[in-house]
Amino acid sequence: MSECTEHSGFRPRIAAFFCNWCTYGGADLAGVNRLKYPADFRVVRLPCTGRMNPEFVLHAFRQGVDGVWVSGCHPGDCHYIAGNMYARRRFTILKELLEYAGLDPGRLHFSWISSAEAEKFQRTAVDVIEAVRALGPVNAANVAAKTMVMELRKVI
Amino acid sequence: MKARAEKIREIAKRLLQEGKVDVVIGYARGASPMREQPFFARTPEEAGQLTWSSFCVGNTAKFLVQAAGAGERAGVVAQGCASRNVVGLIVEKQVARDKVVVIGVPCLGMVDSRKVEARIARSEGRRVESVAEEGEELVVRGRGFEKRLKRKELLRDNCFTCQHRNPVLADEMAAEPTAATGGGDIDTVAAPWEKLPAADRWASFRETFTDCIRCYACRDACPLCYCKTCFVDDAKPQWLGKTQDVTDVASFHLMRAFHCAGRCTDCGACESACPQGIKVRRLTSKIEKDIRSLYSYEAGMGLDAIPPMTTFRADDSDDFIKQGGAQ
Amino acid sequence: MITACKILGKDVFEDFFRNLANGREVFAPVQLTGKIVWGPIGGAADVDFSLDNTDMSPKEFFFPQSECLMRFKNTEGEGGRVMVPAPPLATQRVLLNIRPCDAAAFRLLDRIFMQDERTDDLYWLDKREKTILVGLGCVNPCPECFCTATGCGPFHEEGLDILLTDLGDRLFVKPLSGRGQALVADLPDAGPQDVSLAGDVAAAAAALVQRPAGFEPKKLAGRDVLDIYNLPLWPRLSETCLNCGTCTFVCPTCHCFDIQDEVKGEAGRRVRNWDTCMQRLFTEHASGHNPRGEKRDRVRQRFMHKFTYIPMRRDGELGCVGCGRCVRFCPTNIDVREVVRRMCENVEAISK
Repeated sequence: MSECTEHSGFRPRIAAFFCNWCTYGGADLAGVNRLKYPADFRVVRLPCTGRMNPEFVLHAFRQGVDGVWVSGCHPGDCHYIAGNMYARRRFTILKELLEYAGLDPGRLHFSWISSAEAEKFQRTAVDVIEAVRALGPVNAANVAAKTMVMELRKVI
Repeated sequence: MKARAEKIREIAKRLLQEGKVDVVIGYARGASPMREQPFFARTPEEAGQLTWSSFCVGNTAKFLVQAAGAGERAGVVAQGCASRNVVGLIVEKQVARDKVVVIGVPCLGMVDSRKVEARIARSEGRRVESVAEEGEELVVRGRGFEKRLKRKELLRDNCFTCQHRNPVLADEMAAEPTAATGGGDIDTVAAPWEKLPAADRWASFRETFTDCIRCYACRDACPLCYCKTCFVDDAKPQWLGKTQDVTDVASFHLMRAFHCAGRCTDCGACESACPQGIKVRRLTSKIEKDIRSLYSYEAGMGLDAIPPMTTFRADDSDDFIKQGGAQ
Repeated sequence: MITACKILGKDVFEDFFRNLANGREVFAPVQLTGKIVWGPIGGAADVDFSLDNTDMSPKEFFFPQSECLMRFKNTEGEGGRVMVPAPPLATQRVLLNIRPCDAAAFRLLDRIFMQDERTDDLYWLDKREKTILVGLGCVNPCPECFCTATGCGPFHEEGLDILLTDLGDRLFVKPLSGRGQALVADLPDAGPQDVSLAGDVAAAAAALVQRPAGFEPKKLAGRDVLDIYNLPLWPRLSETCLNCGTCTFVCPTCHCFDIQDEVKGEAGRRVRNWDTCMQRLFTEHASGHNPRGEKRDRVRQRFMHKFTYIPMRRDGELGCVGCGRCVRFCPTNIDVREVVRRMCENVEAISK
């Protein structure tokens, strides 16, 4: 799976939070190797997933993204020893809370990708984007009821 | 209840007389029916105003951070949940153990005044003017009526499923320990929206918080919320707006619930404080249920406990995190 | 010219309602589970004269909790650099069965939002001009009410277009303004028996309102502000306050707000939201200095504003109408009547 498929129609907007040392490096390596994936996420580089604040995720949805992807080092490989270990518990609680309150499963993704895992980065990127794309545009005319992601968007 | 009140007064008076504390934080007779108000007794005479009843619906641990800030040694009248919050504040280093004297009160549950009012036909112009406790009965009086109700049926929701009615930390006790739990099973009532299909959950969240007026009574009644600057007031960046937009109201409650993870004792002060009667616990109970099942932890059960969000285990669950693939 | 009082049988209330609702939106207190709220009324049958006062005051009708004041664009060229104020109210409204305390509160707020023609708050003014207030006197005052002690009362007439007295099977109708007069012109005149009965009902209701002992705010008038400001009771009184803001939000006379521009890209809106002096952030300066940084300062401010500063600037009129909501909803049950009692008591002691 080294070529991405054509994506026509709805292009989701995804905010991606990557840790500098692992996933960002992995994304870089994927680029160097010309591995293709849809350009449907914008990256925010963090020193470590331990820097992730739950407010970042909410803020992204408020600003209008369709999905959020957070990725960092594998547990045990964190550049700061244990940042991702603390993050793991926060991610668990946050994902459970948001999906409990009604966030569509498929909008919030987490992964561990090391700086050497270029192909895994590409595969995960394609999976995440497809999962969010499959949910369709948030404000589509055929959406029956108001959804959480729709109403979290700050409309001025 | 009367026996507890008398014992509390006696202990408080003694502590103040002996100079062991600068203030005893408890409850005094409230100004409205079915309400006792928090009270700071600073002299043995003032200790005479302390009381205890089924209407002590706040959380006295709330005031400990304030007392600590003023450099005071505080006595605190605390039942099971409040005593767990005292432990929590000590663990979080907001209060020093040697600056607190806990007057423990085994709790028989607190009455939800809204449930009492619902039993009185308010639409017929009948307003509750006074409620007296007589054993297990509540005598509700108003203009031209008197009604006897069973106390046990009118307890607050969280009191039915309380898991720790006896104080977990106490320097003095105002009564003999009582049955440990309220009888209900917290895990069957916690996180009610889990039973709903995913598509219906947001509607339930919306409906629950639709009357929120952003008064922050829930936050300000909560002993966990002691930040000098609440995230609500952050300006750079501003995480949420101050308007009544759904996104602003929802963001406040979601984030506040998250900040209570692994710390909340289900004391119900938030629901009791809310002027709109919002069932905040429908949201917060989810987090503590996860904390219990994932990390086998209950807040405030021991001074040596390590709060779950400040630690980790190598084998913490992470099935939802993508990490597989050919390696 | 305000003429005679009228009588309206409840059996013919529907006709009156239809007239009221003609070209107007009608709102009245309605019962929801566990609370009494203001809601739109579709038909006369939805009107319930037996309800107590609402939990939240009706000030939202004139001063919404969140109000867009204007929208703006900051782009160059065609259609850019514009500021468009929020549109005025499209239809007239009626607040039916509003309580005299709440109506009196609006008159106080009029004096604040509309101080002179050059600075009138147009958003407030527009809504006030387009809303008719039909009051219902309180036959059954609430336990927390103390309106008679604040210069108001269960049958107080200030600020109303019409005052209704519930006589059981009929309503005694007193027009109090030109608009009120026009609405009731077709009703039959009230007879002397009705007038007398209405008077008795009003007197009985006033007697039922609890007069809190020692609550004499007039004793604070004319005192040196600093005498009250420096009373040693303030630190003790403020100990149990949570500084949440519930009292300010349920209060019909509280009116502080914060204005913020919400901007996205090159477009935005200016929003006014309720704010509360109870929060530390309220008086925090950009420099970091905060004149009311201590809880004691904020609690003192709230009571002195209502019972000293406002009377000083409004010829003795209090900033409180005695509705009792703050007493009922305060999470720590702080009682304004008790606070004022102690203010009076302590201030008297100074002169001795």
